[in-house]
Amino acid sequence: MMIPDDRDELHALAGEFVLGVLEANEASEVAAALATNAELRRAVAFWEVQLHPLSELTSPAEPPPGTWQAIEARITKPAPKPVAPSFWNNLALWRWSTAGFAAAAGLALWIALTPAPGPSFVAVLHPPQQDQVSWVATAGRYGLLVRAVAGATPPSDRAFELWAIPPGATRPRSLGVIPADGELKLAPLPPDLRDGATLAISIEPVGGSPTHQPTGPVVFVGTVQAV
Amino acid sequence: MDSRTAAPSSVDVLIEAVGRGSPVALKRLYDVESRRLYGIALRIARRPEIAADVLQEAFLQIWQNAATFSAERGAGAAWLTGVVRFRALDAVRKVGRETLSDDPALGDEALEPDVIEKLDAVAQTAALRRCLTLLEDEQRRCILLAFVDGLSHSQIAERIKAPLGSVKSWIRRGLHSLRRCLQ
Repeated sequence: MMIPDDRDELHALAGEFVLGVLEANEASEVAAALATNAELRRAVAFWEVQLHPLSELTSPAEPPPGTWQAIEARITKPAPKPVAPSFWNNLALWRWSTAGFAAAAGLALWIALTPAPGPSFVAVLHPPQQDQVSWVATAGRYGLLVRAVAGATPPSDRAFELWAIPPGATRPRSLGVIPADGELKLAPLPPDLRDGATLAISIEPVGGSPTHQPTGPVVFVGTVQAV
Repeated sequence: MDSRTAAPSSVDVLIEAVGRGSPVALKRLYDVESRRLYGIALRIARRPEIAADVLQEAFLQIWQNAATFSAERGAGAAWLTGVVRFRALDAVRKVGRETLSDDPALGDEALEPDVIEKLDAVAQTAALRRCLTLLEDEQRRCILLAFVDGLSHSQIAERIKAPLGSVKSWIRRGLHSLRRCLQ
């Protein structure tokens, strides 16, 4: 199957995707094309919203007991442990952040479904050993946007500094101090921002780390995913 | 996307709070929406243990992605439905879709021609209802079977005992007509 260029055919294919009639391989092809095809994204969003009232035709049913408890157990993680200074030298520790892969994959789909222009990279940052989404970074040809979603503020007389570690690199590179309003925009796109890179936020003196390497604890971390 | 969202619903507000990382809001959203969403998952997945997994995964995805939920895109309820349907369809594709006989215990109801009368006559639904009534009977029946039961082309063909090619073309032509009517 190919994604059609013809607008009417594209919209019909999007309708079939939302209805769910496509076979697995066709559905994956459409899902993959969402990342790069803005018209397809718009068409899928159109059908999701328009067909939604049909879900009223399904009778509600009581979920099995314990379903909420199972969800709750998976969103509640132990409190974060203090981060040792050697954290930066132990890249194995970064691996925990791949636990956020499923989140990022789901987020990628959501962003793919959001009207264009869509970013081509996304990262969800959360505190080490916690799943709480705290910052969302989106990046594309226009640059990088990092935004706080949980109202995190640094301690007084301190600032958040954003760092990137490209895949395979061992030393973080500063992307800059995050302004007090919790939003950092960088253009053009920093070269270290690519699929598999790690983003981290540490607590530093106002104005940024004097050593060009992190000096304070890492408080948020996440992996960059191509979408 | 949808300009008719001047007043966000309580579901939209809850999703926003979930996006700020509130587990209380997630629980409240579960209380409000889990029966509706589980019904959708069960109807498509057909097996309670799969439907329960679908619901669990869907709520984790909602927890993780609500921060990027954009109220401008449309109703939050449509997003929740989309997440659950996508997960449920994915689950049945993985286990291989089974053609199960209609089982009243699983909430099956025959999709009668007048089923769309059941749709509430609220503004947004009214347009869909009107447009569905304009479709040919076979087109409407196939589209409803696909959305509500999550059946693939070939399963619909089997269910209504019609050639696969006819089913594909009914759905495709039905979607073309629906889109022209809804725009």
